Amino acid sequence: MELRRLWAVLVLLVCSSYSYSEEAIYGTTANAADAGYNWVMTNVLPQQLGLSVNSVIYRYTTDKITEDDMLVHVQNENARGTGYIFRETDDWSGLEGNTINKTVPVNMIDISYWGAGSIEVEGAGSVLDPEVYYSYQYIPCEDPQSDATCPGYVDPTGAALIDDAIAQDTTSEEYIQAEIDRKANLQAQKDEEEKEAQEAFAKEKEEEILESLEVLLGYVNTNLMNEQSQVLHNALVATNYLPRSYFEAMVGGDYPETLVLKDSRLPDNKKGLRVGLASELKHKQLVDLQYD
Amino acid sequence: MFKKTLLLLALGAFASSAFGEEMEVVGNVQSKCVVTPDTAGVYGNPTPGSLDTDPTSGGVDPIVRYDVIQASFYKARIVHPNDFSEAPSLNDVVNWTGDTATTQVSDAGMSAYDAAKVEFDNVTEFDLTVAGSTWFKTESLAEYGYGKAFPAGVYRAVVVAECIAI
Repeated sequence: MELRRLWAVLVLLVCSSYSYSEEAIYGTTANAADAGYNWVMTNVLPQQLGLSVNSVIYRYTTDKITEDDMLVHVQNENARGTGYIFRETDDWSGLEGNTINKTVPVNMIDISYWGAGSIEVEGAGSVLDPEVYYSYQYIPCEDPQSDATCPGYVDPTGAALIDDAIAQDTTSEEYIQAEIDRKANLQAQKDEEEKEAQEAFAKEKEEEILESLEVLLGYVNTNLMNEQSQVLHNALVATNYLPRSYFEAMVGGDYPETLVLKDSRLPDNKKGLRVGLASELKHKQLVDLQYD
Repeated sequence: MFKKTLLLLALGAFASSAFGEEMEVVGNVQSKCVVTPDTAGVYGNPTPGSLDTDPTSGGVDPIVRYDVIQASFYKARIVHPNDFSEAPSLNDVVNWTGDTATTQVSDAGMSAYDAAKVEFDNVTEFDLTVAGSTWFKTESLAEYGYGKAFPAGVYRAVVVAECIAI
């Protein structure tokens, strides 16, 4: 029983440590004083929520006369108040110029406190080749909005919400049924189109075949007709029924009109008048018959 | 009879208290001064008869770093070369010169080390009076004979850096 309890405690401990263990990311900035003796921290530190600075590392060389007084301040303004959040002063008064290479631990100061940085010289002398680095750490995804891959990230454009809504709808029965119907309709439409295409193709082929058949039959018929004409011709020739002119070729050329009608009085055809009158009377009788 | 018994017991008690035991006391002292080679030196050969670590002569000055956690307990002793640890056979004298100075400091106060250093023979000593890191650069120049060319080959010399408790 005790052993079981021990196992349970161990499992809980492992689970809890796993759940809450986020690997911190450590890093060091580029040289903040690369562009001069003043710098803006938003251009130096990664803009990560929860980032804190562990230490400031700086290096510079002083150019001075040994006897001169000289103070060099490496500093950062307090962005959330007055004064400085970090200020390290090197007193070179009465000392020979040298290169200083210094690491100053700071107590995990949050990124929001780090204001403008600078190197300031008091007294005689100058600072050469300044280098200032900030050592920092942060836990990724402490701010879920810092990265789209973070758990709990909400797309500010709302696209994710729409996607979620769509994803939720896809699980509903109505959506599934609608999807099935849509697919069935699509399939039916596709089948119909295929069928129409096949029918059109078949019809076209049939027409082509018919045309080919007609051409073929026409050729056969022509041949057959020629043969029949030849038999009939031979028979007619054999019976000597055809006139002589049938076998003579007609000379080509113009054939002008040879008959000329002379102008004279042409009398009416009295017989024709009688026939016409008789036809008229007969027609009238026939029409009247239907009223009697 | 009871008294005898008591007497015997008392004697037994005295006898047992007369036995001796040795108890060990252990303590570890970790050095508060650490010497770390920072930059390996290289001899340049600007003229046939000289080997020089000066960058202007094509060499590299060796640099050693002293990390002192507790101020004013140690001194740095750096010995620049006065002989080759490896070289071709030489049949003439080699004239050695050298110098050691701070090249970087982690505290401005260490810049006073150079003014306070002690030099004798080829040894330079610095009192490490400020806690922190100090980088010491050693220059070494070897000249062969009187305008004579060094024989071809590989030349090596050693800079010895020690941290000595004051």
